[in-house]
Amino acid sequence: MMNAALQTNFARLQIMKRKVLAALRKGENYELKTELNSEYKERRKEAVRRVIANMTVGKDVSGLFTDVLKNMHTDDLEIKKLIYLYLINYAKTQPDLVILAVNTFVKDAEDTNPLIRALAIRTMGCLHVQEVLDHLSDPLRKCLKDPSPYVRKTAVMCVAKVYDLSPTTAEENGFVEDVRRALSDSNPMVISNAVTVLTEINEMAPGQNVWRLDAKSVPTLLAAVNECVEWGQIAILEALADYTPKTEKEAESICERLLPRLQHANGSVVLTTVRLLLNYEKYVHRADLLSQFTKKMVPPLITLLSSEPEIQYVALRNINIILQRHPKLLSKEIRVFFCKYNDPIYVKYEKLDVLVRICSERNTEPLLNELKEYAREVDVDFVRRAIQAIGRLAIRYESSADKAVKVLVELLQLKVNSVVQDVVVVLRDVFRRYPRNFADVVPTLCEHIDYVNEPDAKAALIWILGEYSEHISNISNLLGTCIESFLEEEDEGVQLALVNSAVKFFLKRPQQGQALVLKALQTATEKCANPDVRDRAYIYWRLLSADPNAARTVALVEMPPVELESANLSAPLLEELVAELGSVASVLQKPSRLFVYKKADKAGVPRDSEMAYTGLDDAEGGAASAGDNGTTGGIDTSNEGEPELLISF
Amino acid sequence: MGHYVSKFTSLFAWGNREVRILILGLDGAGKTTILYRLQIGDVVSTIPTIGFNVETVVYKNIKFQVWDLGGQTSIRPYWRCYYANTDAVIYVVDSCDRDRIGTSRDELASMLEEEELKEASLLVFANKQDMKGAMSSAEVSEALGLPRLKSRQWAIYKTSALKGEGLDEGLDWLVGSIQ
Repeated sequence: MMNAALQTNFARLQIMKRKVLAALRKGENYELKTELNSEYKERRKEAVRRVIANMTVGKDVSGLFTDVLKNMHTDDLEIKKLIYLYLINYAKTQPDLVILAVNTFVKDAEDTNPLIRALAIRTMGCLHVQEVLDHLSDPLRKCLKDPSPYVRKTAVMCVAKVYDLSPTTAEENGFVEDVRRALSDSNPMVISNAVTVLTEINEMAPGQNVWRLDAKSVPTLLAAVNECVEWGQIAILEALADYTPKTEKEAESICERLLPRLQHANGSVVLTTVRLLLNYEKYVHRADLLSQFTKKMVPPLITLLSSEPEIQYVALRNINIILQRHPKLLSKEIRVFFCKYNDPIYVKYEKLDVLVRICSERNTEPLLNELKEYAREVDVDFVRRAIQAIGRLAIRYESSADKAVKVLVELLQLKVNSVVQDVVVVLRDVFRRYPRNFADVVPTLCEHIDYVNEPDAKAALIWILGEYSEHISNISNLLGTCIESFLEEEDEGVQLALVNSAVKFFLKRPQQGQALVLKALQTATEKCANPDVRDRAYIYWRLLSADPNAARTVALVEMPPVELESANLSAPLLEELVAELGSVASVLQKPSRLFVYKKADKAGVPRDSEMAYTGLDDAEGGAASAGDNGTTGGIDTSNEGEPELLISF
Repeated sequence: MGHYVSKFTSLFAWGNREVRILILGLDGAGKTTILYRLQIGDVVSTIPTIGFNVETVVYKNIKFQVWDLGGQTSIRPYWRCYYANTDAVIYVVDSCDRDRIGTSRDELASMLEEEELKEASLLVFANKQDMKGAMSSAEVSEALGLPRLKSRQWAIYKTSALKGEGLDEGLDWLVGSIQ
């Protein structure tokens, strides 16, 4: 007997040896297949682990579908989870075979362990396969009424997935109604998930108005919001933010109830609460309340700035929008926005923008000192923005202009090439704003004329030379050298500025300027290839020869002082962005309808294309009015109609 | 003494290995009921199996891994996915369903042709004997064409899953045939 057993064992070993050899010939998947069908539990378990490992590194193991599936009926929670993961991954490639898993799902959905019930219902929803849908209805209906809140909250989420796959199935089985009922569940997590699901269903079926938050549900939501997890809080807050209160009293009490949310550690909760408060400003009319609300917003926003740079950036982008609503909100907190040396560059840019926004007449002095430091940093782009910020402050506040110009001149004297270029351009704007104040700076500026070599800066400098020629002792020399190199200038702006300045100089001092202007006009008309420049020169020439007095009124006219380009978004766009505060939209400063696409929509066509184009015009308007400083926060309008970021659901 | 030795060898031979058994048959034949009758010894309420059930049944110290596959027309093509490494097939027939006994025979025949099941023993349960008008085992056997099977270990038993009759006898035969 013993002998026989040994013999059979030997025979079995032989068979195994053959199998292993065969497996080696046919590759890893074949080997896994054999292992998955092994008669030993441990080996099957190990095989499942290996399959999932292969799956996660991107190897195709979809061929093992049925073999993996066979192992899903197990008490081992680890294996079950792994196999569910596998199913979610490959269900779409094997829709016919998924049906083999249904029985196990149905049984798991009735397991005694709520974790397994929830796991089953969640996975079934995630499969996203029409074939499974018919079998999902019964277990889902049971789980929606499950005694365990954990299962209920998972089942509620599953309804959104069913609706996405087949709205009629979801409606006919009364699932949507069940979710509406879940809004009055005893558990806050179930409530918040129900809110999330209803919001999503609304988005999936635009115009059908599947759900609208009514006054009856508001108190339950307000009670739930304090108790659910942060993401649930966000869902509820968003729903409330879009809600229109029936009375002023209701609006006030909602705001008051939600004020504590501002103290939450999650930045998104904070920003969504801010969004709600800003949205409710139109419903609340008591001034004391409103000022209390805005006052309460400040500390949490400041706190966000001490988190990771990425969060800081998001916070700053949102603050940027909030400030356009409440320009004075943070003016006492200016020091918080001073750049740290180790801030990432994108945070620095945003901080600079916010600094200029919140600076009031009283605190220009410390800010100018700060900006002066920034202008000495190494990053050329940052330095440019800092110098431009100084210019903006000077133009905005007359009282700070003296100080600002002093700072600019100090920077000029650093004799750093790129700094000089930027300072000259900014100084031109300041001079135009205060035409008579800073003539004494011009000689200093002229000392640095050799450093000026970029077209923009050159044009600016030449304009200043023409404008302030009477304050410059060696003006003929300076202009003369410039005109010598007239044809070497390739930039049209510089050439035009040269022609203009030569004419102005001549009109102011005819004796000294005659030779100069003649040379300039001659070169421009006879040798210049650019038709615009030639035309301009001809016009001046005729004007001067016909009537010098008329020329005087044309060339030496007092120009209107420059106005600060508005860095603000257009009012409708701002309104839209405030309504989407705390989302990607506010970071991109682009309303979500421009970049969120529904899966069913044709690629590249926004949800509402007509709306999208008008919106885009708004965005363009905003960018254009900001000029080329790019202070409007990078709305990229270069690819019209085709926003670069596509988020599809 | 001999008893102990045989017990010892059976443990030695099988170890943790599970004997794979498939329960197949048309829908509504009582496969799931039989599975749970074997496992927990009681009748459970069942719904049509879309997919499969698998349970471990210990009988006479041998661990059986018993697979109950859904019998609906749409799922039958997938039976073949489960054939590998199968030691025995329990084929369940609804003895009252005279209309579909032909279909049952065809499914059985095509199953037995599979290369992977060449070594597997075949145990047929003529189920639902508790109902009036049930075919006898001889009738079922004839209708399925069992007597004409060659090179296959097979047996047929009259069973009633509801009453739990005939199942143990069938399993006893199975234990003998696979050892």
